[in-house]
Amino acid sequence: MTALGTQFRHFGLMSALAQKAADENASAPPSDYLALVCIFMAGGNDGNNSVIPLHADASISNFATYYALRNPYGLAIPQNNLLPVAVSRMGNLTYGLHPAFGAGPYSNGIYELWGQNKMAVVTNVGSLVKPTTKAQMYDFFHPKPYGLYSHSDQAYQHQSGQSDRQIFSGWGGRLSDQRHAADNPGALVPMITSIAGAQLFTSGQTTLPMAIASAPSGLDQVLKPQGYDALPDSQAQLNALNALRTQDLNSELIAAASHVSDQAITVNNSLQSYQEITVQFPPTGIGNQLKQVARLIKKRTDLNVRRQIFFVQIGGFDTHRQQLSTHNVLISQTSQAMRCFYDEMAAQGLADKVTQFTISDFGRTMNPAGTGVSVGSDHAWGNHQFVVGGVTASDFYGMNASNGTPYPVLVLDGPDDTDTGTGSRGRWIPTTAIEQYAATLARWFGLPDSALPAVFPNIGNFPNTNLGFMGAP
Amino acid sequence: MKRNFYRSFQIFASFFFAGIFLALPASAQVDPNPNSPTPVLVPVADSIYALAVQSPAKPLRELPSVSDGPSAAFDLNSRTVLFVKNLPLMKGEGANAFRVYAEDASHRIYRFPVLDLKPLYHRNGTYALTVELRDELVFSDVPPAGELVVSVAWRGLESNKLLLTVGQKGATAAEYASENSLAAAPAPMVSDLSNVGYVYSGDRNRFMQQAAFGPSPALDIRVRRLGLRGWLAEQFEMPYPSAGNPYPAFPLRPTTLPTDCNGQIDDGLPDPDPFCYPNHYTMYPVQNWFYKEALYGDAQLRHRVAWALGQLWVISGADIQQSSHMVAYHKVLSRNAFGNWRTLMQEMALNPGMGDYLDMRESTRFYPNENFAREVLQLFNIGVMMLNQDGTVRNDGQNIPLPTYDQIVVNNFTILFTGWNLCEATLTQCPHRSPGSPNFIDPMIVTNPSNHDLRAKTLLAYPGSTTTNVPACDGCTGATVTAYAASSLNQALDNIYNHPNVAPFVSKFLIKQLVTGDPTPAYVGRIAAVFNANRTNPTQLKEVIKAILLDPEARGDLKTEPRYGKLREPVMLLTNLARQFDARSFDRTTLSDGVLTSETNPMGQIAFAPPTVFNFYPPDFIVPGASFNGPEFSLYTTGTAISRINFVNALVFNGVPVNPDRRVTAGTSIGLSNLEAIAAADTSGNDLMNVLNIRMMHGTMSTQMRDTILNVVLSVPESAPLLRAKRAVYLVATSSQYQVQR
Repeated sequence: MTALGTQFRHFGLMSALAQKAADENASAPPSDYLALVCIFMAGGNDGNNSVIPLHADASISNFATYYALRNPYGLAIPQNNLLPVAVSRMGNLTYGLHPAFGAGPYSNGIYELWGQNKMAVVTNVGSLVKPTTKAQMYDFFHPKPYGLYSHSDQAYQHQSGQSDRQIFSGWGGRLSDQRHAADNPGALVPMITSIAGAQLFTSGQTTLPMAIASAPSGLDQVLKPQGYDALPDSQAQLNALNALRTQDLNSELIAAASHVSDQAITVNNSLQSYQEITVQFPPTGIGNQLKQVARLIKKRTDLNVRRQIFFVQIGGFDTHRQQLSTHNVLISQTSQAMRCFYDEMAAQGLADKVTQFTISDFGRTMNPAGTGVSVGSDHAWGNHQFVVGGVTASDFYGMNASNGTPYPVLVLDGPDDTDTGTGSRGRWIPTTAIEQYAATLARWFGLPDSALPAVFPNIGNFPNTNLGFMGAP
Repeated sequence: MKRNFYRSFQIFASFFFAGIFLALPASAQVDPNPNSPTPVLVPVADSIYALAVQSPAKPLRELPSVSDGPSAAFDLNSRTVLFVKNLPLMKGEGANAFRVYAEDASHRIYRFPVLDLKPLYHRNGTYALTVELRDELVFSDVPPAGELVVSVAWRGLESNKLLLTVGQKGATAAEYASENSLAAAPAPMVSDLSNVGYVYSGDRNRFMQQAAFGPSPALDIRVRRLGLRGWLAEQFEMPYPSAGNPYPAFPLRPTTLPTDCNGQIDDGLPDPDPFCYPNHYTMYPVQNWFYKEALYGDAQLRHRVAWALGQLWVISGADIQQSSHMVAYHKVLSRNAFGNWRTLMQEMALNPGMGDYLDMRESTRFYPNENFAREVLQLFNIGVMMLNQDGTVRNDGQNIPLPTYDQIVVNNFTILFTGWNLCEATLTQCPHRSPGSPNFIDPMIVTNPSNHDLRAKTLLAYPGSTTTNVPACDGCTGATVTAYAASSLNQALDNIYNHPNVAPFVSKFLIKQLVTGDPTPAYVGRIAAVFNANRTNPTQLKEVIKAILLDPEARGDLKTEPRYGKLREPVMLLTNLARQFDARSFDRTTLSDGVLTSETNPMGQIAFAPPTVFNFYPPDFIVPGASFNGPEFSLYTTGTAISRINFVNALVFNGVPVNPDRRVTAGTSIGLSNLEAIAAADTSGNDLMNVLNIRMMHGTMSTQMRDTILNVVLSVPESAPLLRAKRAVYLVATSSQYQVQR
């Protein structure tokens, strides 16, 4: 393989911007390993049924508040089924996780990690342009995110890390723009890998992500051109396949396609041998994706990488109907796979060096849609997210809502509900911006404060860029 | 008397000309030369610098005698005038037909907003093009100070490249001159005029990629005989589906799987017919039917447009349970593919498959569900931002996009669409009703009037909106409610259809599907105007499709603009190759069975099973590492790039063998015997390369590419002409040059 990087005009892995970052950070590359794993719960996970007040304290929303709003429609989870956690930030009151966070059989789920201080919940996160109160929601001049409650726009904003206008790169990609050259000199793979296809989150302005198929495909197979042997005419064909990628690059579409296939062939050469991991993963979509991530991390020394970002996805969270059964399966799959992944990282000695975190399009309406077996919920806004790995302590994190806690007031048409009047559905106004959640993760990953605005253009609009849920790496 | 005479002449003349027209053989219909000339950016005399001046207070009447050219530096964000010639403009073609690109020393691309286009003086043909020196793509940073390479693109053709200094003098020109052939205009494409019929062979092959599922030898002959316009006219009248390939007709089945048709063998009750489950309860028959129509059908254009529309009005086999449900939905697409948008809206809103997929059929006044209400606005008709008629986003004074609606509007549409459900009434009203099996064929009706919300609703308000209020129906019951719900729905769909966004929104979507991923605003505007001019025409979309395919931005032998074209989606990659090379069954004795879903799946696309309502790929996806739209690139990753290569390998060297476990009954293979004969007859390999260049690349194969592949051909012994052909086809088909349809 020729080194084609230099021949591609627009996206050399060592681009001008990356070079600049490298120059500014001329210190030696880090000696340790850190990785972020973004778990995208596509469709809008119902946070209201994921993290539920279990206490009876009447001064804030309690279990009765929740039950009264959801049980009449058949969407409440019975009190006894919830998995209790004591939350320091909430004055040690008890909250309940969805029972599927403790379900097996492939692992016991991530619920157990709460007791080990390896799991954090960041509450009421969502797209914001500036901190926003209910009064400001109805102030025309107060800047608000575009496309509220729309899947594509809200998922886009979670991945782009900017909510006032559409930008064409993701925050994971821009983080890679800033750090790849400095942290991963001589790496054989890009900083970012998606196991879930092309994703906005992973695309930077100057660096390109890699995307490969999930397990059960072996790493040696995911990028391998088939049908080649050692005979001369077969080799001639292979040489031509490689040469054609360097030609006719005056078309940017051809250049873009060739750059991607070129990267694939180059990485393929590095993936021809790998060690299998030890933990058994569930044979689900998300399980197989995280298994592939775990294999790549196990190969980190061979691939000469010190900082990596991964993207995996589980879909189906758009539970407008039949939510109880669907949501149960999805949470169970997500939680079991995350736990297996955590256990594998622990086995690799990376329990607090690799951090999994969730994002989702948005939360869902507190007020259900439909009733009975077909009951579901509609699109809303603020939502709770889960972080597993190098966290400070198991607790709630995030900015306080109107009641002085990070957990919203569960009242339709209440102070935290965007909706007003009769027919209000309970769409919580986020108190923590995507940028604050992401910046906390990015800082842990090694992004200096001075570079925060380059990755999160609106970060200056928010008072706090470190929510405190990540420990020192 | 005089008037009478004139009148009778008119009548006579129309008979006369009609007679001539009918008598003419179809092959005589003449299409105009599809090629536009390449625009030329005017340099400072004898230099590689663009002639440019600061935007003057008064319009320029002639070329500036003393340029601010090589010595001058233009301020960022200032307005600067460039000069362009060689532009025979159409009526109404103006500034938004042009794009001005600039490339910096790091090879990053910027696009300068084009503000104005004015002819300098009559008959000279030189235009003053005013641009603002800022990046409108907002992808890279601001352009750095120094020299930028600028070029102008028009109708998919790129001008010569020249230097423009921005900010202050920076990098030297020599560096660019060595990398870019500055000042040299790209060589124009020469059509092969020796062909009969539609003479422009390169453009003809491009046309068959856009208007059909790819060129085939038979289709090529047809288009050559009829010309593009004649062929389009024929297509608009063609019966569909084609004779011999009717829609799958498996009946409606119960929602609960019967034990003798559940596809399970471990339940102790094997299905007597192993195809019972896949035929009724999966998309298998629809997918197979779809591919057979794409490979062999005559009504290519209707099939192609229905495929495109199905990527806008999305429902998915991931949720839709039965093949009969999907067929009923696809009939709406194909029936209206050349029809009126408003009719399509109506039939889609009440289509039970759509009602199921987006939950309208379970939305009641007690438990409203906003899924359909939101997507009928956002995804299917108007989008979330106000658009100009050329498809560009309308901003407010602070450059923030103007939203089309807010949540209140969605709430109002949500309650308006309540109460509809499957047609389970009398057989007169619901002719396809089948007791025990939900009726997913007839349009939905209001089965229980008490489920419809009777409150007043406020609809979309926009410039020119008329009735935006649906009054309440307080105290209404029974048939009054049914009539009220229906008239409310009509009013709501009228309210959406009349929104100014619909024309540019739909036009741009269809252009992206058929022609190019990032059309100029002028192209979008021309099509939107056709859409609007035919708002009440029952064959509105026929005019729209015709305009899209015959537009000068679509036509021409060669497009040189670096951003023109689109990546072939996996389904199109498959059908283009299969049609070009005589796809038949695996043993070549009969036709392909169309069981090809497993072939496109690793490439990230399963026909009739997009992952979400957002289709296989978003229409505004940005090409990686670039700054312009390339929707299909969202399916193109390191992983799927290799899957494409491996798909071509399997198709060219192996084919898809019969496999009962995967329900492949006849399999698929391509036939290269014609190419084998050509390779055998001309051992120099030249004829083989010529044929592949025309048939696969419509004459655009570069010398370098040709030499590379020819080398491989010659490395195979003369005695193995079939292997020569296979290696050559593999290399063309796997190349990015082919994967990108330009």
